[in-house]
Amino acid sequence: MSSRRSRQQSGGSTRISDDQIIDLVCKLRQLVPEIRNRHPNKAPASKVLQETCNYIRSLQREVEDLSLRLSQLLDTIDADSAEASIIRSLLNQ
Amino acid sequence: MDQQQYPIPRPNKPSIADDEIMELLWQNGQVVTQTQNHRYLRKPPPGTDSTRGGTLSAKEENYNQHLFMQEGEMASWLHYPINDDDDSPFDQTFSADFLNPPPTVNNNRIMQNPHHTSQLTELRQTPMSAVPPRPPIPPPRKLDQVPQNFAYFARHSVRTEPGPSSISRTAVNESTGVDSCDTPAVQPVSETVRSSAELTEGGTGLEAPSMTCDEPGGSSSSGEAVRKVAEQERKRKGREAEEWEDQSEDVDFESAEAKRNICGSSSSVKRSRAAEVHNLSERRRRDRINEKMKALQELIPRCNKSDKASMLDEAIEYLKSLQLQVQRVQLMQMMSMGCGMVPMMFRGIQQYMPTIGMGMGMSMEMGMNRPVMPFPNMLTGLALPAAAAAHLGPRFPMPPFHVPQVPTPDSSRTQAANQSDVNVLTSVGTPDPNHSCIPNFTDPYQQYLGPHQMQFQLMQNQAINQPNNNKPGISRPPENPETRQSGDK
Repeated sequence: MSSRRSRQQSGGSTRISDDQIIDLVCKLRQLVPEIRNRHPNKAPASKVLQETCNYIRSLQREVEDLSLRLSQLLDTIDADSAEASIIRSLLNQ
Repeated sequence: MDQQQYPIPRPNKPSIADDEIMELLWQNGQVVTQTQNHRYLRKPPPGTDSTRGGTLSAKEENYNQHLFMQEGEMASWLHYPINDDDDSPFDQTFSADFLNPPPTVNNNRIMQNPHHTSQLTELRQTPMSAVPPRPPIPPPRKLDQVPQNFAYFARHSVRTEPGPSSISRTAVNESTGVDSCDTPAVQPVSETVRSSAELTEGGTGLEAPSMTCDEPGGSSSSGEAVRKVAEQERKRKGREAEEWEDQSEDVDFESAEAKRNICGSSSSVKRSRAAEVHNLSERRRRDRINEKMKALQELIPRCNKSDKASMLDEAIEYLKSLQLQVQRVQLMQMMSMGCGMVPMMFRGIQQYMPTIGMGMGMSMEMGMNRPVMPFPNMLTGLALPAAAAAHLGPRFPMPPFHVPQVPTPDSSRTQAANQSDVNVLTSVGTPDPNHSCIPNFTDPYQQYLGPHQMQFQLMQNQAINQPNNNKPGISRPPENPETRQSGDK
């Protein structure tokens, strides 16, 4: 992929081949569960991008929410315990 | 400003031939009404005076005459003055003088006042660069077309609407041009000639501003241009990547325009219209995609890529990392909530993996501690394969140490998902900094962890981790050798 991209990059950053984009959109399609389960083959690029945005937003929300809960948990357990260290590491990622 | 309150040369119109197209000349923000032949130059707007401080007031008056920008005909204007210097019959002599002397005047002015000369030079010379923006009055730049005839004006007006994206693009290109009609005025002159031939972003960009400038509401148009500029700025990110798309569309559009205007025949018009329709729909689709791409780009942190492909690549990476992070946090959170055990020993688990199935461990947990109940929830809640979840579910309530029952179904199930789970686990576990530390099990489970202590802990971890990380994993134990292998990778 990267090699293909570099090959295609002529004239600066303006020469992005269609194939590259199609390929990337395909990858995204597989990553986003909503698209993968419902429209595995026929989701148009715009829909894939839209769903990707939605999915990223939901994931971000979820990470935020879980981190909040983790931090709350952290407060309840012994700060010196291994669990606390693990939780802290998770939160700091 | 005060000095330059020159009256609008309306009264001069009578001398102008009626059949001539009255072009609204724009000069330094002031609209100078004038026909192409009848170059009635307005004095430069007060702005110029202010810049000069009024030193050139006298000269300005002289220069004003030739300082004008014809609306929608920058190109023509540029050409006309040169051509008409000798040909302007009805033009007042002074205008002719202005036309001729302008070069000298310009030179003089240049020396005296860079701003002023810039205006002049703009008018006279193609390269306009440092023209002070003249936003108040819409620059009469309708220069998109070759300055051959005024028919282009109509074309320009028609074009204004259909090319929103081009306008937006061009608006971005001419962020300065939007404010100052001068720049685009001059540039388009050369650009317009090329416009039909080459539909580069820049070319179309130049045209767009002129189109926007065409609108009668100068301020409104400038405001619109500003809006377009802002929009363009947003779109600029994806614009480069889509240049090739847009260019093709613009080319078609341009050619259609040219066909319409030049040929004027119905068939060509129909063809051009069909092509335009297609282009428009294509452009709309492209715009939608660009919109989404920009939204995606905004969501991705620290994304500074301007081309689509790398941006999509980053999106994919970010999505994967987000998914992993969510899994980890979920796992951690469930573990903490459930039993307070630290389930981060993926690697260690492999070696400690007892021969008994994970199901046993799970069942042990389940049976022993109510708090373990969350595990089944975890399993089902996570993205486990439905089958795995179903299998695991009923097992939870099983009494502890029902080893023989558990492993069997689990093994069958696990083997399928084992590899993936193991791999995932190892990958997930890898980033965790707590690999090395064996969790201090303070939870009530410890009482049950006599000889099975390590195994139990490990199994617990595995069970918890597996479902969180992926798939069905609880039935790992039967695959110990397999998991170990995969885990060791």
